[in-house]
Amino acid sequence: MKTVLAICISIIGLFTISCEERIDDRIIPEQTNLLIVEGIITNEKINHRVKLSLPHSTQNEVALPATNAVVAIISSDDDVTLLNESPVGSGEYYTDSIRAVYGKSYLLYIKYNETEYYAVDYSSAGQPLDSIHLTETIVNNLPLYSLKYEKSGTKPNYITYDINWEQTEYCTTNTIDCFGKLIYYDLKNIDVQEIYAPKKEAFLFPVRSRIIRKKYSISDKYQEFLRSLLSETEWRGGLFDVQRSNVPTNLSEGAIGFFAVSTVVTDTVIVGI
Amino acid sequence: MLTLLHWYTPLIRFYTLIGLLLITSTYGKAQNEIPSIHINVINSPLIEVLNEIATQGDLHFSYNPKKIRLDQKITYSANKPVKDILEDLMKIASLQYTYLEKQIILKPLKTRGKNTNKNTIIHGYIKDNNNGEALIGATIYVSELNTGTMTNAFGFYSIALPKGEYNLSYSFIGFEENHQIISLTNATNIDVELVEKPPILEEVVVVASAPQLVEEIQMSKSELQPKTVSEMPALFGEMDVIKSLEFVPGVKSHSDGSTFNYIRGGNRDQNMIMIDDAPIYNPSHMLGVFSTIIPDAINHIHLYKGDMPASMGGRLSSVIDIRTKNGNNKKLQAWGNTGLISSKLGLEGPIAKDKSSFLMSGRISHAKWLYQQKNENIQQFYFYDLTGKLNFNISPKDKLFISSYSGSDNYFENNSGVNWANTTGSIKWTHLFNNRIFLNTTIAGSSYQYFLHADIENNTKWKSRIANLNFKGDFTYFIRPQSVLTFGIAANGHNLNPGNLTSNDTKIQPPLVSIKNVVEGIAYINHEARVNDQWGVKYGLRFSSWNNQGASFEFEFDENHHVIDTLFFDLGENYNQYNNIEPRLGLSYFFNKNSALKFSYSRNVQNLHLITNSISPFTSLEVWLPSSINIKPQIANQVAIGYLKFYPNIGVSLTIEGYYKIMKNQIDYKTHAETLLNSIFEGELRFGTSNSYGAEFLLKKKEGRLRGWLGYTYARVKNTFPELNNGQPFNAFYDRPHEVNLILGYDITKRIHVGTNWTYYTGSPYSSPISFFNFNGLETPIYGQRNNSRLPDYHRMDISATLNLNRDLSKKFTHDLTLSFYNVYGRKNTLFINYNKTETENGDFRIPSNLLENSRTSSQFYLFRFTPSLTYNFRFL
Repeated sequence: MKTVLAICISIIGLFTISCEERIDDRIIPEQTNLLIVEGIITNEKINHRVKLSLPHSTQNEVALPATNAVVAIISSDDDVTLLNESPVGSGEYYTDSIRAVYGKSYLLYIKYNETEYYAVDYSSAGQPLDSIHLTETIVNNLPLYSLKYEKSGTKPNYITYDINWEQTEYCTTNTIDCFGKLIYYDLKNIDVQEIYAPKKEAFLFPVRSRIIRKKYSISDKYQEFLRSLLSETEWRGGLFDVQRSNVPTNLSEGAIGFFAVSTVVTDTVIVGI
Repeated sequence: MLTLLHWYTPLIRFYTLIGLLLITSTYGKAQNEIPSIHINVINSPLIEVLNEIATQGDLHFSYNPKKIRLDQKITYSANKPVKDILEDLMKIASLQYTYLEKQIILKPLKTRGKNTNKNTIIHGYIKDNNNGEALIGATIYVSELNTGTMTNAFGFYSIALPKGEYNLSYSFIGFEENHQIISLTNATNIDVELVEKPPILEEVVVVASAPQLVEEIQMSKSELQPKTVSEMPALFGEMDVIKSLEFVPGVKSHSDGSTFNYIRGGNRDQNMIMIDDAPIYNPSHMLGVFSTIIPDAINHIHLYKGDMPASMGGRLSSVIDIRTKNGNNKKLQAWGNTGLISSKLGLEGPIAKDKSSFLMSGRISHAKWLYQQKNENIQQFYFYDLTGKLNFNISPKDKLFISSYSGSDNYFENNSGVNWANTTGSIKWTHLFNNRIFLNTTIAGSSYQYFLHADIENNTKWKSRIANLNFKGDFTYFIRPQSVLTFGIAANGHNLNPGNLTSNDTKIQPPLVSIKNVVEGIAYINHEARVNDQWGVKYGLRFSSWNNQGASFEFEFDENHHVIDTLFFDLGENYNQYNNIEPRLGLSYFFNKNSALKFSYSRNVQNLHLITNSISPFTSLEVWLPSSINIKPQIANQVAIGYLKFYPNIGVSLTIEGYYKIMKNQIDYKTHAETLLNSIFEGELRFGTSNSYGAEFLLKKKEGRLRGWLGYTYARVKNTFPELNNGQPFNAFYDRPHEVNLILGYDITKRIHVGTNWTYYTGSPYSSPISFFNFNGLETPIYGQRNNSRLPDYHRMDISATLNLNRDLSKKFTHDLTLSFYNVYGRKNTLFINYNKTETENGDFRIPSNLLENSRTSSQFYLFRFTPSLTYNFRFL
């Protein structure tokens, strides 16, 4: 598919003296009362997070947290788990150390500013991680690595890669520059927009970097949400954009985002070892 | 000259009166006193010829300028007595004269046949003298009756006249007018070959006859000559019929790099492009950078903007009727050109002189070497077009035409690639029954296929196809002068594959998307007549019956678009039917032969729908679907009113048209609809209405040293879909209120031609974010009203210069060089605005990979700034 993309970009790009350039921000912000929900619980026995925030009107802005909300997760067995905001004022709400059980559905309840919101999702079966594939590149006589993305398994999923080389000799600058987080989505769709999506920035990391991979299974609704999300983010700006639209949600009216339940498979890789 | 005539009119009338009083007593004596003179004029107005005779013969002419066409062109050479010359000219100009004391009194010739009531027929074909090509829309004018007719798509005409003596004028834009004096006693066949005018370097050309568009009752019609297309500056020098249409008022292009057109508020799938009656579904090469239709093999292009004749239909917004050349039936000729992107070659000539001919033309791209500079893995990188036509005059009453077109794009690299192909073919047989009834029988087929090869080794590919086979019979009954009845029937079969994945890899189990089959029956009738000198009317009905047929399966959806049942249909089983009647009405009031007020109403039905939610200018993986259980036919009702005025003294026509159109059952899509490999994609569709209105202004000059047009369009389009945008109306993407187009061509000398295009339009609406939210590290836009913002306004200028390399233009081998500059002032016309990219150190814009970083910026993407090209053309006659 990427080859097809390259061909098509070349058809246009080769002859056209085409160009992309920075422009002044054309966004005309409008006030909305939407609550943004980003929450997921998995089969991992950890403190799961639900993040509540408010829309921001300029790019790269840190979102304002939605604080002092009442948040709870209720399983299909009627087990109720209350979430606590931590730290207070952060808009991040955590469960106690619990795990989501495959086969069950979970309801997210939020009460914020006297308004109640709900969302439901169910866990789907996970699939094992395939072996990691890296590409080596020599930059300034140093071997650097990048992730080679390949489809994984037979069911829709996404894999997060938390990359850390803070403990290596290559982390000579600010330690914040020695971390990376990448996500590769494999939604098992054929989308023209994905096929012709714009190029991603190269991300290189040194030998002995530690990569924690987590493969998330996703429900049908979550897949639909992620497909729309990518359509408005990573896939937008290519040759075959689709009509811009708001991303759907599984939350009740007045809130956007998604509350997901997932089965996670994880592993850790040290690059070059 | 006219001003002078105006001042001299009383004097002329005085001479006329005196002359009439004395005529009878002095005529015989005066004859003997007329001297010999020498006259040699080519295509000169009658007034100039008379002046020349007056000067040489020391004579004076008297006449009533209101009754004599002083502007009619005369070609005449003689050296003999004035009397003989006058008698010759009187026949040519259909006049009579009397002579009195060096005064010659001119009067229109009285028609003896006027007293005879019984009609008889003149019919025949009007052709180009040089190559035998039919002249479509040529005019036949009978001055004695102040009536006339026009040739049809085959260059055929028929006119019923009372028995008598007539002066017939045959004319066509760019050709010398031909005069025939006939004594009509019984049915007569007159085939006329008009001679192309030589290049003239006059700023203003007085044009005797109004353009066809003024004279006919039909409105909302534009014509484009292939020569005009050839003279326009073009991107990479690739002269392009489809792209040239975007300069016509009422037609909006998508943007740079696109062959999509939006006509009078209709979507891009609402335009029927037909080559010799066979539809073309995707007229694009290189994703739309070029179109498939080049002017070299084209005879004529007619665009009907909603008000289609009853014989045409199947789309809501327009029919683009393209007729290919028949091929030169007099002599062999070859032509071609080469440029940066492609080369073309054409060959045409007689099979049997004046009886049959052939035409072959081809174009192939040669851009692969350019691409290989960047990528050595390229396997295939080309497109091609092949056009062929055979033309046989079987008998004086029968002609046979066989034409074909094939075009394909192929882009392969390593183990994957894309290709698409258009193939059309048609066989036409025209038969003249009895001088009044003309039959055109057509069998036409068309196919468009698209392949996405994901894995060539495993033969894994996504394939979409639409194909159809049409049979139709079109009758034309010429009842009397300017009264024509057309009627016909058609049967069409459609086969559609909305996209299926096939593979030799057994692990791949894609969903099955149902193949669709349709049988369509059509009948139509239309009567077009001039009621009197002032009023003309056309009215017609088109009936279509659309029948979905098995083997197929369909889904039933509930109100939430969830599948509630699957219905299976056997092979040949009719399971759904839509019958529609499409009335057409046209009224024209002719103030005089040069100005008219017109009104039309038309209802159009469309049963084939392009399914894509792409907003890209480029052709992508598109699928076509038929009307069926879940998709109702699209229906449009359009009313239009227009005023047309022709200024013969300067050869300029003015067209002003206003329209209002309501389109029902329009298709849009749910949020981020999934249209590929989705067996239940009909559940992704949303239906609504669209309202459009606008006004179009066009000033056009077809002849003279300076040619071109200036167009302005004001147009609005609003869509309303109950399930989109909270049910509120929103601007369509192609809602661009203002558009201006200026096209100019100028002959500096007979060898040097320059041309320019300038276009401006309001920026297209798009949905701009009103805020953002973060999810999984992705900054995601939140949108408000749909299409709430507009891209910056678009404008650009193109220029070209063509130098004929022959010093002697009459040589058999002619060649020229065209240098053109697209977007000469380098305007950055925005194609997309993005909010999700980051600028790299190299100045490239990329999607951020590291989700821990926040460095996104707004960026705009544009194409084609200042693009020069050089094209070499040759022609061997």
